[in-house]
Amino acid sequence: MVMRRADWALVAGLGLLLAFMVGPFFWLVMSSFKTEAEISMGDPVALPATLALANYLDAWRIGSFGQLLLNSFLNASAVVVLTLLLCVPAGYAFAKMRFAFNNTVFFLILVGLTIPIQAIVIPVYQMIARLGLIDTILGVTLAQVGNGIPFGLFLMRNFFRSIPDELLEAARIDGASHFRILTAILLPLATPAVLALTVIAALSTWNDFFLPLVVLISPDVQTIPLGLVRFAGTYSAEKRLIFAGTVISFVPIVILYLLTQRTFVQGLTQGAMKG
Amino acid sequence: MAEPRVAAPAATGRRYRSGIGRDGVGQATLFFLPALLLYGVLTLFPTLETVRLSFTNAAGLGSTVSFVGLDNYRALANDTIFWKAFRQTLLWLVLHVVLAGGTGLLLAVLIARTKLGQRFFRTAFFLPHVVSLAVVGVIFSMVYDPFFGLLNGAFRAAGLDFMTRSWLGDPDLVLFSVAAASAWQGYGLYMLLFLAGLQNIDHSLYDVAAVDGANSLQQFRHVTLPGLREVSTLVLSLAMINGFKGFATVWVMTQGGPFYASELLNTYIFKLAFQFQQQGKSAALCMVLGLLAITLTIAFNRWRERGKRW
Repeated sequence: MVMRRADWALVAGLGLLLAFMVGPFFWLVMSSFKTEAEISMGDPVALPATLALANYLDAWRIGSFGQLLLNSFLNASAVVVLTLLLCVPAGYAFAKMRFAFNNTVFFLILVGLTIPIQAIVIPVYQMIARLGLIDTILGVTLAQVGNGIPFGLFLMRNFFRSIPDELLEAARIDGASHFRILTAILLPLATPAVLALTVIAALSTWNDFFLPLVVLISPDVQTIPLGLVRFAGTYSAEKRLIFAGTVISFVPIVILYLLTQRTFVQGLTQGAMKG
Repeated sequence: MAEPRVAAPAATGRRYRSGIGRDGVGQATLFFLPALLLYGVLTLFPTLETVRLSFTNAAGLGSTVSFVGLDNYRALANDTIFWKAFRQTLLWLVLHVVLAGGTGLLLAVLIARTKLGQRFFRTAFFLPHVVSLAVVGVIFSMVYDPFFGLLNGAFRAAGLDFMTRSWLGDPDLVLFSVAAASAWQGYGLYMLLFLAGLQNIDHSLYDVAAVDGANSLQQFRHVTLPGLREVSTLVLSLAMINGFKGFATVWVMTQGGPFYASELLNTYIFKLAFQFQQQGKSAALCMVLGLLAITLTIAFNRWRERGKRW
């Protein structure tokens, strides 16, 4: 591999662009170690004199970030498990089973892909209220799963359709039930699709703000994005706490991404392309 | 729920041309009913219920609701905030597609060309996308802060004081500032998709173009863009869907202000329904949003199917 001058220029250009794009991350981390006095000097690009670790301890305690992280984790896991349990068999049914109204029912569900959640939020809220699930993680989870079914179903159906019928026909003639075909033959093959759906469902739930804002009222049931926004609003006079709280909010997902980035990237790309 | 009439035995499957036979609604139902049920209760029914609510004077749980015909729609037509939010939502969509989609395309093309650190750049440039939009809202509230914010601070440090602005306080600027923050979070996914698309372009096409004397701009126009056609369609439609979902950054950074200068249909829906308790009028607004989303999606698909160039 020979690097010409133009190649070095390209690398340098990309480096500059990168510094610009990830600059906010470094600035937040840097600022999170400043004392309130340093922040209020109005020199945002100056380095902190000492590392004020107290910011993190205070933010963690006052903002109950442990609780928020736990809630977000519960919420995201529940959405992933429910979405898979619902969309995998349904995707199989619409791809491989022959029954009356197959296309009609599928089309009915597909319509949901084009409707933004905001356009139906009032009845969704009323439904969750009628079920007695306002202010519960279960309530927001059900709303998120219900809203994500069109995409998950579409993704799984497309994947199952790409598997040749002959493979299933042989098993079918041998007397295997649909349940057995799905669990024993197709699921092992479906790892890429299941992984894609897992990554997409987990990330969109972890990042969701709108439905939690509508459903979750008490601080002790809120998720990370909602909790951070409330925290930033309450302690707007203490910037050091907001800086530290913001870093606490994005560090877990950034670390998870860096550790699993191959899966992460493949899941998102495959999911968007097949979905 | 398996009706014996339709639950045909599996063995009859062999009689059909291909696939695994006719299974009857009964057995298939077991597989898709749970999904259909939850979707029905939490998406399909709410869609129909929104239509009904938009013709009523619903005002929060427990209030008596009566039919008011087109009153809500008339109220919207005479509501200057609605028209402002409507125009700004269209502008917001364009800004998201151009800023996030454009950045994604630019970075993908540059990363695909570099010989050093391709994987590193892809990983690092993608970072903002894993951050929640609401957290991005908090981040950029601070970046844009006139006093202790990074942006004005960097301008001052570089001696460019005349560039400092009240990024979120100036009604002429605020929508662009918030859209830029959203694009920062959004471009990562589009970049990945464009990169995947670039890998599928046949490299010999560039050699042919070079032999024909095409410069790199012409190569981009006549080889890269046509080769990315499918991915571009995907990115554009994703960007449109994501644009329509725009809410969190605006809500966190400005709540639609100052003077409604960053109000979107989504934020106005939320305010009407959950702050002003005007659910009927809010539902009418939901109808406008839903119809706009469906119309633009259909129009977009028509356009992509017809046009052939890129």
